[in-house]
Amino acid sequence: MSEKNNKYILVGIDGSTISGPLIKFAIWLAKSNGLTIKILHTIEHSHQTENPHHEGNLTPNIRRELLKELSEEERVESKALMATGKTLINTAKETVNAAGIDDVVAKLRHGTLPEAIEDLKAETALIMLGSKGISHQGTEKGLGFHLEESIRATNSPVFIAQKEFTQPKKVMFIYNGSPTSKRALAMITQDTIYKEPLEIHIVCVNSDTELANNLIAEAKSAFAQSKNSIVTKVLTGDTIEQLTSYQKDNNIDITAMGAFSHGKLHGFFFGSFTTKMIQQSDCNFLLIR
Amino acid sequence: MLFSPKNDWFGNIKGDVLAGIVVALALIPEAIAFSVIAGVDPKVGLYASFAIAVMISFVGGRAGMISAATAATALLMVTLVKDHGLQYLLAATLVAGVLQIIAGYLNLHKFMSFVSKSVMIGFLNALGILIFMAQLPELTNVVWEVYALVALGLCIIYLFPYVPYIGKVMPSPLVNIITLTAIAYFMGLTDVRTISDMGELPDTLPIFLWPDVPLTFETLKIVFPYSVSIAIVGLLESLMTANVVDELTDTESDKKRECKGQGIANIGSGLIGGMAGCAMIGQSIINVKSGGRGRLSSLVAGIFLLILVVFLSDILKIVPMAALVAVMIMVSIGTFSWTSIKELKTNPKSASIVMIATVIVVLWTHNLAFGVFTGILIGSLFLAQRLSQFMFVKSEYDEASDTRTYHVVGQIFFNSSDKFISYFDFKEAVDNIVINVKRSHFYDVTSVAALDKVVIKLRREGADVKLVGLNSASQTMLDKFAIHDDPEEIEKFISGH
Repeated sequence: MSEKNNKYILVGIDGSTISGPLIKFAIWLAKSNGLTIKILHTIEHSHQTENPHHEGNLTPNIRRELLKELSEEERVESKALMATGKTLINTAKETVNAAGIDDVVAKLRHGTLPEAIEDLKAETALIMLGSKGISHQGTEKGLGFHLEESIRATNSPVFIAQKEFTQPKKVMFIYNGSPTSKRALAMITQDTIYKEPLEIHIVCVNSDTELANNLIAEAKSAFAQSKNSIVTKVLTGDTIEQLTSYQKDNNIDITAMGAFSHGKLHGFFFGSFTTKMIQQSDCNFLLIR
Repeated sequence: MLFSPKNDWFGNIKGDVLAGIVVALALIPEAIAFSVIAGVDPKVGLYASFAIAVMISFVGGRAGMISAATAATALLMVTLVKDHGLQYLLAATLVAGVLQIIAGYLNLHKFMSFVSKSVMIGFLNALGILIFMAQLPELTNVVWEVYALVALGLCIIYLFPYVPYIGKVMPSPLVNIITLTAIAYFMGLTDVRTISDMGELPDTLPIFLWPDVPLTFETLKIVFPYSVSIAIVGLLESLMTANVVDELTDTESDKKRECKGQGIANIGSGLIGGMAGCAMIGQSIINVKSGGRGRLSSLVAGIFLLILVVFLSDILKIVPMAALVAVMIMVSIGTFSWTSIKELKTNPKSASIVMIATVIVVLWTHNLAFGVFTGILIGSLFLAQRLSQFMFVKSEYDEASDTRTYHVVGQIFFNSSDKFISYFDFKEAVDNIVINVKRSHFYDVTSVAALDKVVIKLRREGADVKLVGLNSASQTMLDKFAIHDDPEEIEKFISGH
């Protein structure tokens, strides 16, 4: 067994509507790359109390009493969350089994999703998440609360499911020559994530078309050995606008790109390109750190 | 991992706002009482509580913890205020803040691991007793009405929560203050002291003020010792409180950030005419109990406190001190660990001695830091003693090879070295001696010297000595400091140089 095979496709589910398609995408990838699916659900403790006391007084041995009370409250909360979580992961596991994959792991962990991703870093080959968690369901532009933090917590590629499952055929790869996009290129040309041929659209947005053409040629040559069919396109104008309309016009299933190359602070002031891109697209994503 | 910033601030808005209001109401009597302890006007403590509570909500490392003017730090300022006045206190507050920031950068919070549970209980008990003792001036040589009011106040504080419905929503310390103020005012109890007798209350919003002291080395020499005490005690109580809140809420805190935050908050306090403070165990528990978990509760507490005292200062003035005394007695009762008295019987004696020693030294010096240091020191001595007890050497003799084998078990260090030597029989005449140290560890130069002494002495008696089973850490110690394999050094050793 090679080292790669000891690693998992970590699929984070939380019971939101996107969790269903996400599992199907996971099955699709696992069947191609042979990795084991690990279904993960995190039990997020609120660490808050449902029964605050506003008496404002301190009774003797208050610390001990309060600790007992709060621990008991959390114990009950945890039990309930774990029961719900178990149902969730077991249902997902059955779906995977039904698709003909027997080897699947289902795990519950305490804490937040980014914490879990950080903790499981060593055994993760690929992470798969839905773009919106259960608390953002139905909101138009909102992104999952933990999504950015989760992606930043890992070095592995992250697949983000954003729409219903259809067998992916077309992948758009955004290339701009930056170090992150170079890493992304290297990752994709290895075909470790998905082995069967796809239609890959290498796209570069740059007003300097000569530079853009050079970049595209550079990327295309990296695909020389691959069985994928390659389409290239240079776009000019507003980056996000151009890319999202290209996605639509060409029925792109998955957009692959380098992600979060800038620090958190940069993102705070200028807004993150990755976040905006995901928010404004109706497309699945493969983000490479 | 810590809470994400968003969650920290707005993860619990309703709970935090309500808890913040409850906390503010309890902070006011405490800030006034601690000003009285320090010997300054109530406004100094009130401004401090406002500044510290607000600033720490941004710069602190423990969401849900409440910091403000405290008894622990107020007690350290008494002589400074008496001898040099308020301005020097403000200067000392600034210096203490700087020291705390430095402590944060130096990772001094890691030394908290030396504070054992017994020391912590001793600290809390001492703090509870000190807060209670600070109320005694209000309770001696006063008219009987004061005792009646305090007793009534305590009854309200502890029994009002049992009143159906309103008992659960109105903070009982506030009910105590309102009731006692009404009684004293409408019954015309002129012999009962009120807050206005304690000095000035804030009548304006705080303004930026640089302490009015000469910027000289002389000034620094005066304030520095006080600043050091304040910085240490402030950090001790803050980090202990952070541990308490960590435990209660089952979340983690950033202790380094907390140290720096306490420093920044104190500097902020000093610059608007407030005294130094730190985290408060009692208030933080009230906050957690009231449902406060985020940074917002501390911010709300600070702002609400200021609004109340500035706009209600006319009403505050007529609040009888008895109402505050009742609140402070409640705080002291809540801070004291009552189970620790029961545990005196069941806990190991050493733990009880450490706890009691901590309390005694604090009560004696009025400085919680001295108590903690004493507790740590005595605790360490007990540990050294205990480790020595568990050290022993057994031996066996093999007649065929004329070999005596010593098996050393346990920790060899300064305290157990003599005991280690005493296990060897130097009078026994044998050809071969094996010292097996596989199950032991040599910690310091004293223990290595003891081993040297044993080996050399046995060799002088004519035995071939072999040392087996050294672990690598002990081997390093021996390589550095042992001389029994160095002929030149042995020469010196034997000839007594």
